[in-house]
Amino acid sequence: MILGSHLAALLCYLAAWVTHLEFFRRGRSSPDGRAVGATSAGFVFHLAGLVAFALHERALPLVGVGPASSTLALAVVAFTLGAAVRPDTRASGLFLLPLAVALLAEAILVGLHPAPRQLAFRGPWLVLHVTTVFAGFAGLALASAASAMYVLQFRTLKRKEFGSVFRFFPSLDALDRLGGLGLGIGFPALSVGLLAGWGWTLTYGPTLPPDDPQVVLAVVAWGSYLAAIGARLSPRWRGPRAALVSAAAFVATALAFVVLRLLADGTGDSFL
Amino acid sequence: MPVAVVGTSHRTAPIEVRERFYVMEGRAESAVARVLCEKRVQECIVLSTCNRTEYYLHAADPGAAERAVTEAMAEQAGLSPERAAGYLYDHTGRDCVVHLFRVTCGIDSLVLGEHQIQGQVKTAYLRARERIPGSVGPVLHRLFQSAMAVGGRVRTETRIGEGAASVPSAATRLAEKVFGSLRGRVAMVLGAGEMGKLTLACLVREGVEGALVASRTLERAERVARSVGARAVPIEEFWGAFGRVDIVVTSTGSPSPILSARRVRAARGSVGRPLVVLDIALPRDVEPDVGRVPGVFLYNVDDLQRVVDSAEAERATELDVARTLIAEHAEAFWRWYRAREAIPLIRQLRSAAEAMRRAEIEEVLREMDSLAEEDRERIHRATRQLLAKLLHAPTVALRRLAADPDGLEALDVAKRLFQLDGGEGRGGG
Repeated sequence: MILGSHLAALLCYLAAWVTHLEFFRRGRSSPDGRAVGATSAGFVFHLAGLVAFALHERALPLVGVGPASSTLALAVVAFTLGAAVRPDTRASGLFLLPLAVALLAEAILVGLHPAPRQLAFRGPWLVLHVTTVFAGFAGLALASAASAMYVLQFRTLKRKEFGSVFRFFPSLDALDRLGGLGLGIGFPALSVGLLAGWGWTLTYGPTLPPDDPQVVLAVVAWGSYLAAIGARLSPRWRGPRAALVSAAAFVATALAFVVLRLLADGTGDSFL
Repeated sequence: MPVAVVGTSHRTAPIEVRERFYVMEGRAESAVARVLCEKRVQECIVLSTCNRTEYYLHAADPGAAERAVTEAMAEQAGLSPERAAGYLYDHTGRDCVVHLFRVTCGIDSLVLGEHQIQGQVKTAYLRARERIPGSVGPVLHRLFQSAMAVGGRVRTETRIGEGAASVPSAATRLAEKVFGSLRGRVAMVLGAGEMGKLTLACLVREGVEGALVASRTLERAERVARSVGARAVPIEEFWGAFGRVDIVVTSTGSPSPILSARRVRAARGSVGRPLVVLDIALPRDVEPDVGRVPGVFLYNVDDLQRVVDSAEAERATELDVARTLIAEHAEAFWRWYRAREAIPLIRQLRSAAEAMRRAEIEEVLREMDSLAEEDRERIHRATRQLLAKLLHAPTVALRRLAADPDGLEALDVAKRLFQLDGGEGRGGG
């Protein structure tokens, strides 16, 4: 049930992404209900798989590389569906769905097993910490997808190239709003998550070493967010430059994540 | 009893003739009533838009019905029937079906793939059904329902209606790609030319508010502004207003550029929001360097034409898909329509068999006068059921043969076999 639901979700997300690609290739104005339908179906399968995991393992899928990757993928898809509510921002799935597919595929390949050891950090603090941090990462992904599309659409409009990007990508205004929404939701969520983790550590746990991969990732992600928000708020940096900073913020966070994953101790306790 | 259409459109008549054939909303009822007076016309729907006026008919004698419609249209237009006929076309049977489907899908429209016609077809059908009792029967009902279905499919499954079809609509599309919805945006036109007016009208239709028209002659500016619901401003106020607007359309007859990058930079000051400049003048009103000013998107008439051309090319590639959908739906309608051919035949067959059954049973029952009424009824019921069972298979076969394009000969054989003429009771069902 757990693996089956995850595989079904993966197939649905892939189908939705292929639909986006086909619409983009054909230069349609935005993907139609089929893409949203496939994404929604995948979301339902995915959620069912995670619920089955929670019931089977008697633990929320928040720790352990596989379950945590799967939950993060679900958060990304939730933001994708949120963006698809308005037809003018539906095309953002072109960038967000491959991210969800990659995370989910990784979860399936690594294995959907709970963390081998029980962590000291658990209970409501952990749930608050992980869910808000994941919402923060998903918000950053949404903001950077919108920003990357903004940069491409801006370049297209300036260069007067009236091809697939011009037709398929939303308007600059819609992309700007979507980017702002991603940052507006993601940054507070990430901040709350980090505060929850820090607060627990100060209260109950040992001091977190500054070279802890999770601390490094948290600092990189939070700093990237701060840079993206700062660029948006600065009158001189508004528009394509702020969008570039948002896109770069996500790239920096993703790179930090990959590097830290490669350097991780392999205990499989945490997301890293 | 075929379906037929008689009408005129932008393909056969200039606008000054089309407007004479135009059936105004309140007059459609009398126009249809007049056509329905022709005894062999069973059903009639009139479709009248700025580009076409067409009468769709279901008639026993399409030739007579077409003549009646031609006369009615000629009378309305104040033309002789011979002269009117020069502007009219007609299609019968399957050609009529395909024609209506093409019209509904916007393939026959002045602007390929425009969607407005679908609403107009629906309105024509609903108006006839609700306001003119007896004008819409099963055939035109089915025909128009099929037309709306294929129209919906073409709209959702192809991109035939997407993209800009004219320079003003390309201008609107470009502005929308920057601003999204144009609701609440402010636009200003410099110059009071026709193209500037059309572009501003297009922008206002899409929600632009507080539109301004600036021209060297304030009177001309006021005239243009009135026609599109904008406000005229003296030319001296142009640069003052420049910093407040989102879209600028220039269409003056100036021999040299009016907008330079330096002036645009100075006028915009620290305004951070984007500005779309649409230069539709020839020679150009805007120096190319203006496009390099941060936040400014500059397009000239060639750029707009490229948007139109690219949209047209895309629409054309979708035509094949639309044609396939139309053929598919026309075939489905035609099958249904042909299957109706079997209805009078089936009726004849059943009534002949029933008459035969009744005669035979009555004769037998006359010799059995001691039989109780209840038993007599029982015998009638049993023989009726037997007959229904016997006729079930031939009934289904006749329907199938009628729907099959190659089934006409077989239908004739069935007529001879059961000694039917197939004429009685036509038009029913």
